[in-house]
Amino acid sequence: MTDPAVKVDRLEKTLQTNKVLRGISFEAGAGEIFGLLGPNGAGKTTTLRVICTLLAPDAGSVGVLGYDTRTAPQEVRRRVGVVTAEFGVYPRLTARENIAYFAELSGVTNGQLDRRVDAVMERLDMGSFARQRAESLSSGQKQKVAIARAIVHDPPVLMFDEPTSNLDVLASREIRQFMVESKGRGKCVIFSTHVLHDAERLCDRVTIIHQGRVVASGTTAEVRGGFQDLEDSFLSLVEAAR
Amino acid sequence: MSSLAIVFRKEILEILRDRRTLIAVGLAVLATPTVLFVISQVSTRTATQTYTAGYSGDIPAGLDILFNATGLKLEPVADPPAAAKQRVDIGLVFSPAGIDEYYDPARQSAQIADIRLQTIVGKYDEAKVAATLQQKGIDPSVLNPLPLNVHPLSSPVKAAGNAFLSFFLPYILITMSLTGGLSAALDTSAGERERRTLESLLLTPAPRGQVLIAKILAVSLLSLVAAVAAIGSMLFALSHISFGLSGGQEAHVGLSPLAATVMVWLAILLAGSFSSLTIALGTLARNFRQGQAYATPLYFITIFPASIVLFIPDFNPSVAYYVIPILNAVLVLRDAIVHNSVSWAPLVVTSASLLVTGSLCFYAALRLFTREALLVRS
Repeated sequence: MTDPAVKVDRLEKTLQTNKVLRGISFEAGAGEIFGLLGPNGAGKTTTLRVICTLLAPDAGSVGVLGYDTRTAPQEVRRRVGVVTAEFGVYPRLTARENIAYFAELSGVTNGQLDRRVDAVMERLDMGSFARQRAESLSSGQKQKVAIARAIVHDPPVLMFDEPTSNLDVLASREIRQFMVESKGRGKCVIFSTHVLHDAERLCDRVTIIHQGRVVASGTTAEVRGGFQDLEDSFLSLVEAAR
Repeated sequence: MSSLAIVFRKEILEILRDRRTLIAVGLAVLATPTVLFVISQVSTRTATQTYTAGYSGDIPAGLDILFNATGLKLEPVADPPAAAKQRVDIGLVFSPAGIDEYYDPARQSAQIADIRLQTIVGKYDEAKVAATLQQKGIDPSVLNPLPLNVHPLSSPVKAAGNAFLSFFLPYILITMSLTGGLSAALDTSAGERERRTLESLLLTPAPRGQVLIAKILAVSLLSLVAAVAAIGSMLFALSHISFGLSGGQEAHVGLSPLAATVMVWLAILLAGSFSSLTIALGTLARNFRQGQAYATPLYFITIFPASIVLFIPDFNPSVAYYVIPILNAVLVLRDAIVHNSVSWAPLVVTSASLLVTGSLCFYAALRLFTREALLVRS
């Protein structure tokens, strides 16, 4: 891997009285899907929130394309797109207006706005509901709006936090295809999930965290080791960490 | 376009598409004229209505003419005290020794009939005494050794109208400045959190301070429009309806340009403060419903000072009282309406007080809006 797009170094974070991250380190590069795996409550979402500057680290550091999240949070936000399971959209705005709003806030200029919004809607096949108010969209359509608003400013780093947990089979497959497609476009894709089957199929490299600590890291094949699949390896690692 | 302008435009668009907010503002605008129309009808009817006095005994000569002229209809009854309980408004027993009056103070019609009776009897006594004195060759003015001649410097009818405005208008201004934008404030703070859009918004490079200012400006604009529209509709209604006053006079109520200017200035200051405060409270809440629970005490906190002129019409405090937010707006507006003039000291103190209050509310909102707990709790 050349220079990492995202570099997390000995990250620590306490939320209220709960020490959630206890020295997490990993690197994710451009043109790869990097899996951040772990059981519920392991610290995956907190890690992503620190990377995208929603939370400040207590100790350690996070760099995104050379920008430190502490000293240049706005530069980091310009270069990151985040998709979560909670695809909240503004119900009284149309699908297109939702996307355009985030595009403008992310710095897409007026001259490029229509072209950029149209392009991303075409890419996600959203033409049929572009002018429909978001309150009347299906879950899958709302998820597409959420993805579109996360990528409309063409960020080099994309983060997916349990993106398929509220979706049906078809919509989930579209998300997975989208991640693969983004990797093909040279994006750094960080995929946080506890669905190990998805991770095994999609990820080039993975890091498994448990109780705020990294318990395994490497290529998917390396982490799987001698086990039949990633799930067996994961269970073994988590059990050993207890 | 700056982040502030982008967020402001989007908030206004959402407000304009929010049926709940628009209906609330529309109802508020229509409610005041409706209430005033009903009050007008009732007061006019009360002023012109004839009340019934059930009587027994012989009516002194000439008194019946005064009764008819004052809207009291005389009706003979067998038992005036019993009749005064239900059938007639007051019961009267005429005897050579005088008049015995029976009335139930719990009945409003009885109260009005009683007041009219006092007026009639007072005039009758005056006329009778004057006639007796004249018969004896004495000038009746001897009974009034120090005559009082009253010269009103302004129209008493207009003064009555201003008095009405001075307690009604500040009340509407304050309640509408608070409630006009409340729904939008909670929607853009607690609602944003509840819909899970807050995290996405904070992920953009837009500075959080600008995002917050845009939200406050949008809510302030709505509050301002709601307050001005409610007052405008009230003034429009007042210019088309009249209130019956005693003596057959009718009061038409209007607002002077000075009072209107002061009102708009105060509305701007109040709308800014209330918007910051309600957005701060909404930011504390996890959802719209919780936000409403947090905001409910504001009604009671604001309504008391807003109503003070109603309870103490002649409340003329020192300038120090003008430091108290809301109360100061009520007092300044009352002065502008009643006296059609504004003293600089109270206006400056009031403006400074409301600006400081607004700044503190904004600071609180900013602190709440930029803390990590905002996202962790959600």
